[in-house]
Amino acid sequence: MKILIVEDEPSLREVMKRTLVREGYVVETAGTFAEADDKLAAYAYDCILLDIMLPDGNGLNLLERIKSEGKRENVIIISARGAMEDKVAGLDLGADDYLPKPFHMMELSARIRSVARRSQNGGQRGFTQGNVYLDPERGVVQVNGVTLELLKKEFDILSYFLQRPGHTIDKAVLAEAVWGDHVDQADDFSFVYAQIRNLRRKLEKAGATVEIRSLYNFGYKMVVLDT
Amino acid sequence: MKLIYRLAVRLCLVLLPIMALWVWLFYASMVDEINDEVDDALEDYSELIVIRMMAGQELPGLNDGSNNSYSITPVDERYVASRPMIDYRDAEVYIPEKKETEPARMLTTIFRDDAGQFYELRVSTPSFEKDDLLRTAAYWAVFLYLFLLLTVLGLTLLVFQRNLRPLYVLLRWLDDYHPGTGNRPVPNDTTIAEFRRLNVAAQEALDRSEALHEQQKQFIGNASHELQTPLAVLGARLEWLLDGPDVNERQAGEIIQMQRTLSHIVRLNRTLLLLTKIDNNQFPENSDVDIAALVREQAELCGEIYASRGLVCSPALPGSFTVRMNESLASVLVTNLVKNAYLHSEPGTRIDIRIEGRMLTVSNEGGEALDGERIFERFYQGSKKEGSTGLGLALVRAVANYYALEVGYRFENGRHVFSVTWP
Repeated sequence: MKILIVEDEPSLREVMKRTLVREGYVVETAGTFAEADDKLAAYAYDCILLDIMLPDGNGLNLLERIKSEGKRENVIIISARGAMEDKVAGLDLGADDYLPKPFHMMELSARIRSVARRSQNGGQRGFTQGNVYLDPERGVVQVNGVTLELLKKEFDILSYFLQRPGHTIDKAVLAEAVWGDHVDQADDFSFVYAQIRNLRRKLEKAGATVEIRSLYNFGYKMVVLDT
Repeated sequence: MKLIYRLAVRLCLVLLPIMALWVWLFYASMVDEINDEVDDALEDYSELIVIRMMAGQELPGLNDGSNNSYSITPVDERYVASRPMIDYRDAEVYIPEKKETEPARMLTTIFRDDAGQFYELRVSTPSFEKDDLLRTAAYWAVFLYLFLLLTVLGLTLLVFQRNLRPLYVLLRWLDDYHPGTGNRPVPNDTTIAEFRRLNVAAQEALDRSEALHEQQKQFIGNASHELQTPLAVLGARLEWLLDGPDVNERQAGEIIQMQRTLSHIVRLNRTLLLLTKIDNNQFPENSDVDIAALVREQAELCGEIYASRGLVCSPALPGSFTVRMNESLASVLVTNLVKNAYLHSEPGTRIDIRIEGRMLTVSNEGGEALDGERIFERFYQGSKKEGSTGLGLALVRAVANYYALEVGYRFENGRHVFSVTWP
């Protein structure tokens, strides 16, 4: 899968590229509106990560051009302006997703995966790791083809892990993703642990080949067991 | 004290001694004038007696109905030397016809007959009651005082109100003014030079403060925006490190701590942006929001997150309480109030949340009263809490101001009570 990063900040561009290459993507970068325009004219991409505020133009104009030319690229807007209008305008112009800065790289790759999944017609709609399959739209989890009943929070946690396989996930970040922004001042994360424990038990009982491992007291990582 | 009352009191106080002085002067000049007249009459009378006596004619009768009286006493030379030739004074004289003593004016003079004998002549005529006169004068003075006072006050009020109208127009305008709510021009439809200057000065001061307010808002907004990209870079690099193959447990712990600190900064930044957006009125879409449902949801969530503290909370809520607000702002308001109570509660205490009428009240136990004025300020914290942005209650107030809700804090029976009232 080929990705174009349009971002004017060199440091961010570099680390984004490095991270996405490690994820197995082919990554090109552009630092200006003109450079991005040239690359888009010459090559085709599967996904474009588009910063709105570029030194020589507005990213929204680029988006407009892409869509008017009928290109099939997926576009994810990454913007420092968290303003609602930008988000609405971007999505109205045909962007597939909107990610306000600053974001977690893990979140970005999850969004890329999700956008790619949505655009692949006919393929599986959900996420698969090992013998575990999760369909976020229908709210279904299957282990080895057998439906597994999960509670809402357990489902959300599993979904989060399945979209970020192999990543170290901080408890605090997981809590914020599942419970909402307002867990920021929790004294401990025992409420996260309680849910993880139940989820682990259910997965194990169903014979899942994935496991949520605790890492250094701070976080978790989902690993696929060798079978 | 209102200016008009102060003026009234001052006028009363100033008029009082002036009127007293006036009464005294009036009385004194009156008495003087009367005495003068009476003394003239006495002098004529005494001359008549002396002339008659010298001419050997018959003296006037003592009881001729005029109440005048006189006496002639021979005196020796020594006595004469010790007395003035003529002397007027007030005296009490017994009037035989009335059989009573009355105030009188008395003239004492000395003359010598042809034989060289000295005589003292005393002539007196009943005078008026000075006490009566004084009382009457005082009575009329009080009457005059009150009359003058009412007239002066009435006139002053009338003039005051007519002429100070522009001042009250300006004051009313200032009362209605809220910083950062656009520039309604100061009304300036008066022809009085001083008030025109005052209005112009007020307009200038307000323009200045509006400009500063705007600058400050923009600065916070811009600074927060500018921080977003460096924060994203920092976060991405930390993630890269953490996911690397050669990271050991100690390093991973440090990195995750850094990430948590970083997300604190990110949260702070995001909250500042939110505050700026609220100040800039960037939440136009309103819908019907059920506050009761929001509260219930948030209390449940907090109950789960802070389960380890063993707090007791059973919200007393109606089935629904619907208000017209922007949904995300309603959520900001409710979540921050409820979260605040959970955050600042000691383990095992009770949190009280209720909606009564159009008022939402959230209370939690606390040691001592907080500064009710400053508690809603940005970054004001009674006690520093790890991970706290210090902006929660500032957000509550910003949202409340946005919708003109009444937000209050009081300390009651050892509990911090926060309330929000919808109009």
